[in-house]
Amino acid sequence: MTYYSYFPGCSSSEGTAVAYGRSIQAISGSLGLGLVELEDWNCCGSTPYGSTDELESLCIAARNLALAEKTRFTVLNEKGIPVEQTGLDLVTPCSSCYATLNRANSLLKQYPELKSKVDECLAAAGLEYKGRVRVRHLFEVIYNDIGLDFIESNVVTPLTGLKVASYYGCQMVRPEPGFDNPYNPQSLDRLVASLGAEPVPYPLKDRCCGGSLIIPELDLTLGLIHQLLESAAANGAQCIITVCPLCQTNLDAYQSKVNSKFKTNYNLPILFFSQLIGLALAIAPESLGLSTNIVSANQMLDQISMRKSYAMQGAEDG
Amino acid sequence: MGINAYLMIKMGKIDGGDGQRDAIRELEAMPEVATVEPVSGQYDLVVEATVDVPIRARVIAKEIQAKKWVERVHVLKVEPAEPNPFLDEVCSLPGGECVRWCMQCGMCSASCPNVNQMDYSPRKIIAMIRAGRRYDVLTSNTMWTCASCYLCTARCPKDVKITELMHSLERLAARHSLRCEGVSTPAMYKAFINSIKNNGRVFEMGMMIRFYLSTLLSKSYLRAVLTRKANPFNTIGMLPLALKLLSHGRMSIKPKKIKGVDQIKAILERAQALGGAR
Repeated sequence: MTYYSYFPGCSSSEGTAVAYGRSIQAISGSLGLGLVELEDWNCCGSTPYGSTDELESLCIAARNLALAEKTRFTVLNEKGIPVEQTGLDLVTPCSSCYATLNRANSLLKQYPELKSKVDECLAAAGLEYKGRVRVRHLFEVIYNDIGLDFIESNVVTPLTGLKVASYYGCQMVRPEPGFDNPYNPQSLDRLVASLGAEPVPYPLKDRCCGGSLIIPELDLTLGLIHQLLESAAANGAQCIITVCPLCQTNLDAYQSKVNSKFKTNYNLPILFFSQLIGLALAIAPESLGLSTNIVSANQMLDQISMRKSYAMQGAEDG
Repeated sequence: MGINAYLMIKMGKIDGGDGQRDAIRELEAMPEVATVEPVSGQYDLVVEATVDVPIRARVIAKEIQAKKWVERVHVLKVEPAEPNPFLDEVCSLPGGECVRWCMQCGMCSASCPNVNQMDYSPRKIIAMIRAGRRYDVLTSNTMWTCASCYLCTARCPKDVKITELMHSLERLAARHSLRCEGVSTPAMYKAFINSIKNNGRVFEMGMMIRFYLSTLLSKSYLRAVLTRKANPFNTIGMLPLALKLLSHGRMSIKPKKIKGVDQIKAILERAQALGGAR
């Protein structure tokens, strides 16, 4: 088991993306992921704070980094010997938290005068940040540290025949050149293939869903969501998977609004990548939070279980 | 701040037809030279150069004089470049200095998913900052329409941090109390931050209620509705959606306060005392 400091973010902990957090908890054991929730974390600040006050937003993000830096605990290894865990990576499933915490980290490195101000503010709360924490996206951790080979060998029910559009969104692959190509990322498609499902071509896979602009600029954002759904449907996708709470909410909860505005009838379930992994690991849909999907995934689930029983029957007959 | 030097050049006899074009190309290759324009009359070319100290203009004149196709050079004028406090202000922000090296290729505008809704495209905004048009920039809707997708930043061939610049402009507009009619993004930001200040985390339902009430009841929103810049049905239409999220277990109905709310308060008080990032 590898340990990480876990930063769920506001949406995944108990908000609109509660299913994300729940499905991550459900799959982490089988994947050997030791996700230890960061004690008393606060909101990363996201774009709204960064666009309002630079120093305050950096301090808000840096409090989490400081807490992560001083996190240390002891676990027993497989031989029963206590091992101290320190200097853990801070792992978040939310693309916005990932981008925001990373931005704080790199600005503090780049501008020493800004760092000294942030240090002073943190000191007012008895905290200190030396700049040693590495912030990572949960998907990247699963892709690089756990590896697709491990996942593939642990698949219980291959999702054979399921056509999946992999939607990367913006802030996991940009702005910094990260772990995947920012123009044509491939990692999620490979995950889909390793689960036995079929990745469909998705030209808009790194385009914007509008993010939090859905609240103040509804019409504009519905246009963006419409394009994303249209491209996925045109390529024969039966569902879309995402790596971000906001992308999921925009594509899922606003799908009916898109349908009424653009006179379309999309019926595409939007799943978190962790939910798709969970289905392939034969974890019950309830434990993956699939009941919280606004566009029901039941039809898709029936298809998977039908194929499964068909395959089993075939095996018995053969 | 830079100093501008203007030099007049009289060309000598040149063999071949393309002499003037080659001369312009040769002058433009000099690092200090900003523009070269052909003129008619006593002189053939006028060169605008940017120098750090006035005496440098003489040195450049000498360098040009040394070229064999030059008959004579005259230093017309050496004067400080026009002050542009807005450009200086933007450049003083972290990441803002990039606007100086933007080459106006327009890749950012071509990449932006929301450019059609913007008063000015990202490329134009940078040109306007360099032209010192502070009021027009800070009252535009451009930065409020940015969805922070970072496609412009990833694609910029000159490494200009355009998304960061948009966020900086939002902060500047807020600091100078400049508003864009019909744009309610600042109200959403305010509701979001309030939620962090009160609870340490974002309480989504409380944030949404606060946002919709504050926009519905604001004078500027009413004005926007009357001038058809905002659609009140969008706001009312959010209610069924909220209920749907609630019934699917995706909205918590009471905020969760973290233990460190006092820590956050102390941190923010100190940050305010320090007076911002710069």
